Amino acid sequence: MRLLLVEDSVPLADELIADLTAKGYAVDWLADGRDALYQGASEPYDLIILDLGLPGKPGLELLAEWRAGGLSVPVLILTARGSWAERIDGLKAGADDYVTKPFHPEELQLRIQALLRRSHGLANQPHLEASGLQLNESEQTVSLENRVTELTAGEFRLLRYFMLHPGQILSKTRLAEHLYDGETERDSNVLEVHVNRLRGKLGREVIETRRGQGYRFAGIKA
Amino acid sequence: MRSIQRRLGLGLGGALLVVGLLLAQTSLWLFESGLRRYLEDNLRDDSEALLAALVRGQNGPQLDESRVGPAFQQPLSGHYFHIDVDGKTWRSRSLWDSTLPLPEKPGLMEALANGPQAQQLLVYRADYRRLGRSLSITVAQDYTPILDSFRRVRIVGLALGAGALLLILLLQRLTVRRALRPLERARVQIAQLQDGRRGTLDSDVPDELEPLVRQINHLLEHTEQTLQRSRNALGNLGHALKTPLAVLVSLLARSEFDAHPALRQTLREQLEQIEQRLARELGRARLAGEVLPGAQFVCARELPALFATLQMIHGQACVLSWEAEPHLSIQRDREDVLELLGNLLDNACKWADSKVRLQVLEARGGIVLLIDDDGPGIETSRRDDVLGRGVRLDEQVSGHGLGLSIVRDIVEAWRGHVDLLDSPLGGLRVSIRLPASAGGAGPS
Repeated sequence: MRLLLVEDSVPLADELIADLTAKGYAVDWLADGRDALYQGASEPYDLIILDLGLPGKPGLELLAEWRAGGLSVPVLILTARGSWAERIDGLKAGADDYVTKPFHPEELQLRIQALLRRSHGLANQPHLEASGLQLNESEQTVSLENRVTELTAGEFRLLRYFMLHPGQILSKTRLAEHLYDGETERDSNVLEVHVNRLRGKLGREVIETRRGQGYRFAGIKA
Repeated sequence: MRSIQRRLGLGLGGALLVVGLLLAQTSLWLFESGLRRYLEDNLRDDSEALLAALVRGQNGPQLDESRVGPAFQQPLSGHYFHIDVDGKTWRSRSLWDSTLPLPEKPGLMEALANGPQAQQLLVYRADYRRLGRSLSITVAQDYTPILDSFRRVRIVGLALGAGALLLILLLQRLTVRRALRPLERARVQIAQLQDGRRGTLDSDVPDELEPLVRQINHLLEHTEQTLQRSRNALGNLGHALKTPLAVLVSLLARSEFDAHPALRQTLREQLEQIEQRLARELGRARLAGEVLPGAQFVCARELPALFATLQMIHGQACVLSWEAEPHLSIQRDREDVLELLGNLLDNACKWADSKVRLQVLEARGGIVLLIDDDGPGIETSRRDDVLGRGVRLDEQVSGHGLGLSIVRDIVEAWRGHVDLLDSPLGGLRVSIRLPASAGGAGPS
């Protein structure tokens, strides 16, 4: 999952990036509204965390312009402006959720998970479930027929992305775009390694290879 | 109520009445005195004719009856005379059996004298010397017909005067009303301002009203700008304080603190206190209260967005509904009402099993807001505590106490009343009664 964080407070952004990275998200960070307007629309993000008090361009304007331009990525507003009138304005501008500062990091994690599941058409459930597998996002483990398997950070990222897109054919390029932030060297060999390790832990049939097209998450009851 | 219209009417009517009566009475008096002088001349002529009719007879002077005018011959004709010559008197035949009151000195008698048959007589006496004797001739004329016609003139005059007065008052009323129309329009516009149906007064008014209207508009604009400015400043202050707070709260989650759970707990509690205090004071400072007269919250326009927001926050598990008369509006600042309802409904959603309902009712000029949920409710004995300052009943569901204390602040600023009751849905009912807005104009 690749997130865009638009936040002008450097200390808060540092904390958030550390926290989100630990939870297996690839995070790109921008502090200026004008940069965010371009990059948010051109890079394939899975979710955008947006602060409203931004230099360059106010957050609400930025959001309205994204939505007017047809950007459908879920946007979570993270702001100190907590009055109900402002929340309503935020949602009217096209936000999908609203978290007010200060917040507990766990609360933000839960809201991000819920928003990602909702945007992929999955019901609001405590764990991400797909094709017989159950992913515990806080422990970074996967349960398969009551057997809990530990995952490395790279495996966890990859499996989560597969589980949010069950049955879809995902090219290597697309996987790389969504699993790594804009500054990481994208190496398709790393992907292949992670896929093979997942197959080793969960069974060969869980991830199919479509030659020349990419991978497809089939699950265990495909 | 002191009405300019009534004052002007009374003033003009009184002045016209006094002047009119004075004028009518004076002109009547002048006319009558002129008439009397004319009649006096006639009476003098009569007396001179009678003097000429006195001729020398065998035993002194004699009255030549043939030279006496016919009016003196006809009984009670209204023309009389009495001639006195050295104790010898002649009376006109017209006097019949009555006597003529005789004036004591020559000339026209000041007062009218009583004559025969209730006639009022104008009496004139002239003294002469003729045929070597001094003689006194008194002639009189009936004044009653003239008095009668004066009375008629007075009645007609009074009627005409009253009619004219009425007409003038009516015209004046019309003129004044037309002249005061801008005032009336300003009054209507101020009422609309109270109802929130307009934001400013029309500046297209007569010169006399222009400074007033401009001042009111200026004041309105100034108040609104001040409110907006202070809200922006508070928003910025909140932003400036809450972002570092968010950093601190995030830092607490770091693994370095895992070794010091007590330290982490204390820090967390203190940060939470700062956060709550900040939220409450900033929330309170944002309140518009009853500053702006034109404020209003149109239920049908604002509630759908608020409910969409709440639905999004709490998900599909909670069924939210609202009921309000179409076109019903609450005469309070929009942001205040949103803050109040947002906090109450948010709280209700946190506690409800599946249903939350808002009802907006109109009652005796004021508004009643009912927020119901089907959650566990609150015991009667603990309800007073919940409305207290920042009390939390259950730490598991965050923001309960804080939300309700902001609610209490808002309701107090509006001089309203909060009650916690049992809900027909099974949980808690929060009932908020708001009096009609301070301007006095109730909801239309």
